[in-house]
Amino acid sequence: MTQTHSVILKIENITKLHGQFKALNTISLEINRAEIFGLLGPNGAGKSTLLSILAGASKPSSGFAWLDGMEIQPNNLKLRARIGLVPQDFAFYEDLTAKENLLFFGQLFGMQGQVLTNKVNEILEIIGLDDEKAHQYSKYFSGGMKRRLNLGIALVHSPDILMLDEPTVGVDPQSRNRIFEAIKIINAMGTTVIYTTHYMEEAESLCNRIAILNHGEIIACDTLQNLLSLTQTTINFSIHENDQTKSGILQNKLPELKSEPLQGSYSLTSHKNSTPDIINLLVNEKIQIINLHLDSPNLEKVFLSLTGRHLRD
Amino acid sequence: MQSFIIAKKELTLLIRDKLTATVLFVLPFAMILILGLLLGEGFGQKTDDLMRISVLNLDKGFGLNNKPWAQHAIEDMVSTPNIKVEIIQNKELAEQLVKTGKRAAVIIFNPDFSDRVNECSFLSTGVNPFHRDGIYLEKLQVSIVKDNKQPATSAIIESVCQIALLRIVMPWMIGKAFEKLGDPEFIELLGKEVSLPIPPSLRLLIPKDKIPLGELLELASGKDVVLAKNYREKVGAGIQTALTGQFKNYNLTGKSWASLTRSVNNSETVNTLTTFKNEDGTGILKRGAIRYQILVPSFTVMFTFSLILISGWIFVAEKRQGTFNRLLSTPVSTPNILLGKFLPTIIISLFQIFFLLGLGKVLLGLKIGLPSWTLSDWMIALIILPLATSFCVASFSLLIGLLSKNETQLALFSSVPVCLFALIGGCIFPWEMMPDNAKTLAFLTPQGWALEAFREIMPSSFDTTTDFQLIWKSTLVLTSMGFILISITWITLGRIRFGNS
Repeated sequence: MTQTHSVILKIENITKLHGQFKALNTISLEINRAEIFGLLGPNGAGKSTLLSILAGASKPSSGFAWLDGMEIQPNNLKLRARIGLVPQDFAFYEDLTAKENLLFFGQLFGMQGQVLTNKVNEILEIIGLDDEKAHQYSKYFSGGMKRRLNLGIALVHSPDILMLDEPTVGVDPQSRNRIFEAIKIINAMGTTVIYTTHYMEEAESLCNRIAILNHGEIIACDTLQNLLSLTQTTINFSIHENDQTKSGILQNKLPELKSEPLQGSYSLTSHKNSTPDIINLLVNEKIQIINLHLDSPNLEKVFLSLTGRHLRD
Repeated sequence: MQSFIIAKKELTLLIRDKLTATVLFVLPFAMILILGLLLGEGFGQKTDDLMRISVLNLDKGFGLNNKPWAQHAIEDMVSTPNIKVEIIQNKELAEQLVKTGKRAAVIIFNPDFSDRVNECSFLSTGVNPFHRDGIYLEKLQVSIVKDNKQPATSAIIESVCQIALLRIVMPWMIGKAFEKLGDPEFIELLGKEVSLPIPPSLRLLIPKDKIPLGELLELASGKDVVLAKNYREKVGAGIQTALTGQFKNYNLTGKSWASLTRSVNNSETVNTLTTFKNEDGTGILKRGAIRYQILVPSFTVMFTFSLILISGWIFVAEKRQGTFNRLLSTPVSTPNILLGKFLPTIIISLFQIFFLLGLGKVLLGLKIGLPSWTLSDWMIALIILPLATSFCVASFSLLIGLLSKNETQLALFSSVPVCLFALIGGCIFPWEMMPDNAKTLAFLTPQGWALEAFREIMPSSFDTTTDFQLIWKSTLVLTSMGFILISITWITLGRIRFGNS
C-alpha cells in the first residue's frame, strides 16, 4: 500500500450508549490518508455521534479510535491540533468579523504573527470571503457565508484530518459549490476529509469511499462504484395502447419484465447492456414505444435495497 | 498565553455590546443618584436610641463658677439619661432646620439668659421665674423655635428644657436664699418678728409680758453694739446649722442640682454632646450627603455581583451558539480556558467598582478612607478588597454559567446569588433598617461580607477609626468562597470536557 492509501484513522468496535439507547453499535472502519470519506445516513443514524468521538469531543462507551496510531481520547489535547471539526451548527462569534474569528481560533491553536495572517488570508480565499466580507461582523452574513466561515475556522490550523458534520444544511447552491470546491482544494493539499451527510448526491459527487450508517451500524462501506454495483439499472418503458395486445410476446421473451397493464407501462431491472436487446425486440415486434428511460443505480437505491426504507425517511 | 487570547476576545465582545456595557456601568450609578436624590437625610441610619435635643447657645453672661448658665443647662441635659444634645451653630440654621422639618424644635438660650438666671430669687426684688406648670421661658430669655407639624416631639423637647431649667434655677435660688439666713437684715427682721414671753420671776427686771428677740439680744450684749452684732450673726449661723442638720440629705447652699441633692456622680455617663453637621448634601446632586456613604457601597456590591447574571449569560449564549464546544475542541488546556473566562469578569468587576467609587467621589462627594490611613491601608482598601470581591464574583459567574444549560436555568440559578443574597446581604435594605439579627444572616452571603468591608472604607461622619481587621476578615472569606467555587467549576468543566459526555 502506498503512502496515499495508508490508514490515517482506524476505528475499532466503537459503541456509544445514551442511557439504554445504542447510538453507535460496534463500528469498525479504516479511513485512508488524503481520501474524502463519506458517512451517509439518515437523520439520527449516529453520524454526528461518531464524528464527535473521532474529534475527541466525547468518549465512546466501548471501543477505540486511533489517529496515526495515537488513541483518540478527549484528554489527548495534542491530537486536537491535527483534527479540524466543522460542527453542524454555526460555531463562531457573531460579534466578531470573519477575519477576527479566524485569527482567534488560529491563535488558540498556537499560531501567531505573519504565519497566522497568511494562513487566514489563504483560508478566506479558499472559502470565498473577499476582503470586504472578511471585515464584516459575521452576524450580518447570509446562511451560506456563515457555513463557509464555519468551515474556514476548522481549516485555519491546517489539520491533517477534516471532519465535516452536514456542512451544507440550508445553504444556497452557490455556497454549496463553494464549500465543495474548498473541500476539494483542501483534499488536494493532502488533508483527509470525513464528510457526513444525508444527501446522497453530495456523497456521490465528493467521496472516494462511503460508509452507510443506519441505526448506529455500518451497513455498507466501499467505493462509490462498488456500492452502486449492489443495485442494477432499471429500464422503464411504455408502449402505445394499440400494441397492448402484444404484451404477451414481451412477457414470453422477457420473463423478468414487470408490467402495469392498465397504463401500458413496463419496467425491467437488468444490466445496462440489455437495453439495446429490449429496443431491438420492440422494434422487431413493431411495438410502438411512447417513452423509455433508464433508472441508473444510486445511493438512494442502495440504501433502499439494504434497509428497505428511503434515505430521507 | 492562550487564556489572554480568550480574555481579549471576551472583552472585545463585551465592549461591542453597548447595551450590556450600559447596564453594567451606567445603571448602577443612575440608581445611586436617583435614590440619593429621593431618599431622606436619615436613610440607612439606625434610629436614634437617644432623644435628640437641639440647642442654640447665644448666652453671653456668666453664672455659677464663672460659667454661662446656658452651659450649665446644656451639661444638665447631656448628663440626663437617654438624651443627646446637638449644638446648632446659628439662629438662621436653627430656623431653617425647623422650617424644613428636619428638627421638631430648637431651644435657644438668648444672650441675656445668664443675667436673667442670676436675677432669679425668692426675694421680692428678684425675678420669680415660676408658674404653675414650670418656668416662664421668656422671663429667662429662653425661646423655642418649633415645627408646628411635629407638636408631640416639640412638646417633649420643651418639657426637657423646662426640667433642665428647673434643675438649674431652683438650686440656685435655694442656695442664694439659704445664704440670706445669715444676713444682718434677716436677723433684724427675725428679731422683730419673734417675741419671747418673760417669766414672772424676771418681770421685776423687765416689766413686760413679752420681749422681741432682737431686743433680748441687745439686752444680752449689754448694749454693746459690736457684741450685739456678734450675737445676731451667731443666731443666723445657728439657724443655718440647725436647718442643715434638720435637712441633712440636702446641701441647701449647693446652688446646683447635683450639689443640692447630694447626687453621686454617675461615672457611666456618656458624653452625648454633638455639633450639628449638614449630612443632607449640597447642590443638585446633594453632594456629600451621608446617605451616599451607604448607597454607593451597597449598589457597588450589588451590581458587582449582578455580573454573575451577565457573565453567566455570555457563557450560556456561547454554549447555545456552539462556540463553547468549539473552544473545548481546541488544544487549549482546561485551566487556560477557565482563566480566559475568569480574567474578563475580574477586569470588568474591578473596573465597575472603581468606576462607581470614582464617580461617587467626584460627583457625589463620597468620603473614602480617613486622613489617618497609611499607604498600606489604602492598598488594602482599594486593591486587595476589590480584588477579593471580584475574584468571588468571577468564580460565582463561571460556576453558574457552566451549570446553566439555557437562559431559563441561568435566570433561576442566578436569582439566588444576585437577588436573594443581595437582599439578605444588606445591599437593598441597609442593615440599620432591618431586624437586629439580619446582620448575622448577612454573613452567610458573599455580599454581606463585601458590603461590611466596603462600608468600612467609606466611613460615616461619626467614624473616626477603621476596622482593618474586619476588612481583612472579609477579604479572606471572599477569597475562600472564590477558591471553593472556582474549584467546583474546574472539576465540572473537566468532567464536561473529558468525561463520558
